[in-house]
Amino acid sequence: MRTFWILFAAEWRHFKAAKGLVLLTSLVLLVGLYGIYYGTSEINRQRQHLAELPALARHNVDELKVKFPGEADAGEIGYYHTTFAVHHPTPWASLSLGQRDVNPYYVKLRLLGLQGQLYASENVNPTKALSGNFDLAFVLVYLFPLLIIALCFNLLSSEKEQGILTLLLAQPVSAATLVGAKLAFRLALVLGLVLVLSVVAMLWAQVPPDGRVGLWLALALVYCLFWFGVAFLITSWQRNSAFNAVALVGVWLVLVVLVPGLLNVFVSAARPVPQDLELTIKQREEIHGGWDKPKTETMNRFFALYPQFRDTATIKERFVWRWYYAFQHLGDQSVQPLTVAYTNGLRQRYDLVNRLSWLSPAVAAQTSLNALAGSDLPAHLAFLGSASRYHYALRAFYYPYLFHKVAFTHADFAKEPTHTFTSTSEPATAASGLGKLLISAGVVFGAGLLLFRARPVNPR
Amino acid sequence: MTYILEAKDLRKQYPDKLALQGLNLQIEAGEVFCLLGQNGAGKSTTINLFLGFVQPTSGAAYINGLEVAKNPLEIKRHLAYIPENVMLYPHLTGLENLGLFSQLAGFAYAESELRDYLEQAGLPPEAVQRRVGTYSKGMRQKVGIAIAVAKHAKVLLLDEPTSGLDPKASNEFSELLGKLSGQGTAVFMATHDLFRAREVGTRVGIMREGELVDVRPTSFLNANELEQLYLHYTH
Repeated sequence: MRTFWILFAAEWRHFKAAKGLVLLTSLVLLVGLYGIYYGTSEINRQRQHLAELPALARHNVDELKVKFPGEADAGEIGYYHTTFAVHHPTPWASLSLGQRDVNPYYVKLRLLGLQGQLYASENVNPTKALSGNFDLAFVLVYLFPLLIIALCFNLLSSEKEQGILTLLLAQPVSAATLVGAKLAFRLALVLGLVLVLSVVAMLWAQVPPDGRVGLWLALALVYCLFWFGVAFLITSWQRNSAFNAVALVGVWLVLVVLVPGLLNVFVSAARPVPQDLELTIKQREEIHGGWDKPKTETMNRFFALYPQFRDTATIKERFVWRWYYAFQHLGDQSVQPLTVAYTNGLRQRYDLVNRLSWLSPAVAAQTSLNALAGSDLPAHLAFLGSASRYHYALRAFYYPYLFHKVAFTHADFAKEPTHTFTSTSEPATAASGLGKLLISAGVVFGAGLLLFRARPVNPR
Repeated sequence: MTYILEAKDLRKQYPDKLALQGLNLQIEAGEVFCLLGQNGAGKSTTINLFLGFVQPTSGAAYINGLEVAKNPLEIKRHLAYIPENVMLYPHLTGLENLGLFSQLAGFAYAESELRDYLEQAGLPPEAVQRRVGTYSKGMRQKVGIAIAVAKHAKVLLLDEPTSGLDPKASNEFSELLGKLSGQGTAVFMATHDLFRAREVGTRVGIMREGELVDVRPTSFLNANELEQLYLHYTH
């Protein structure tokens, strides 16, 4: 053990002397801090937008009070009044933005057909989508493996190529102790960085000090361990530094770039999902078709859904709001199967990616961190579900005014339902990802150990 | 009798070459055995087998009575090794390199002691605090000698140790070997340097194609006779 610590301490001296590595490590630290800043800024921006929405809604109400100074038809109010379904982030979202930058974090709603409104703001800036997020999770999942590769590609080959290994192994030092001390030093360095960045990010984001702190750290630690395992496996092969570097970068490309890309293509093909645009167009066609359909037919279909309003007088006028909202409602009903297929399909895709994530620890780590941060697809689908329920609540609020011909007063605005939704972490998904990462790390370390034992280190 | 260094039917077969064929050799404490032979004769293979860097195909090598293959770490407490081309950590000073290797060997020397060892090996005092990256081959060789001496080993394995040393330093090294053997250290030196072998060796052995073909005490050989003997076996 004494020899181990002598070698460990010597590694610190070697590291300090390797200016390039010091520079690279400092750079990763700075990049990590930028990632924290980026993630926190993005979430703060979203929070600020969300905080401004109630004022916007109040402003809209004030405008409506001016437009309709006395009692008004609820149909007019429902048409002009805008309210919001809001998706608040968890503090953890700052560390792992997940899909919060591509999916809307609020939806502007009126009493009209829901489906078209749910997906109306799903457009993203393609340039921004191309560059992606630069949050702490990105730094950990994509860039830390490169740092580990830079630190470990010449773990043993450096001494061998410099000719120092013969003199080292002529001392009472086993190759296993030497490699162990070198790996342990690099592991301590990288895990120190992970710890510093994570703690800074957690303090900055003000995450609650609960079990998720441990889960985040465990995910980051085991993911890094996996990459150290890969480096150990390649080291055990005992090839030269150039070979090791190419092999390690190759593994990085395969596991971090190629497999996730192929997984995306495979999952898209295996779980086809109707496009939300298709859904919106179909709903819109149905709604527009409502103008030309006989009013009795429309109302009968609507009353089948809301029999409590069946005693409403027959519509003889050219236009009444209750008829208008009835065919809006039926527009949503007509795309209900598509809506279910769309959300189920997205969920199935997500589940399939999760099942196949053992193919790439990078995917397992990213999905786990997103699940922990409540910024993944299930969180977004839960928000869409919550927004839909809210829209139904709005309908339940306005329909009695419409169908019982009750006038809408200024005081009624205060009775209107409001919406709030905060995504929740999914520790079970994160824990499952941690399990996969542990197995992956165990496999590579095990394979490395077998190879290391099978190929005794020859210092020549 | 337990020899400090011993080979029993030591054989090493590589896939394409028989590097060592049945070496039998015993070296006692205080003896300086010089192994002569052309490149590829098996000298370095023999040293590698004693160091445990390669495993024998058959037979066994012993250091201080311990079988090398079965006690790979323990035997290294009893031996010191100076390769033909001593390579050290270039970013550390001579002092730091000696300190590190001594610590690994189990010795925690004070700086003044480390300086003494380096000085004893012939390294100029002003160089001890310089990075080894700035050293010449001869200076690195001197640090290698200091590392070996500071280890106080019972066996000194040397592979062309004077390569890169100037004549004065080589001479000082010969004196050092004499001093160490006088203190009971067994020295096993592979070399091409017939002059040095006859000067410091107590016995010389000539190796040809992996076989130790002749062993003689140097006390009965003058330089000319050793040269004739060497040429006889190697040409």
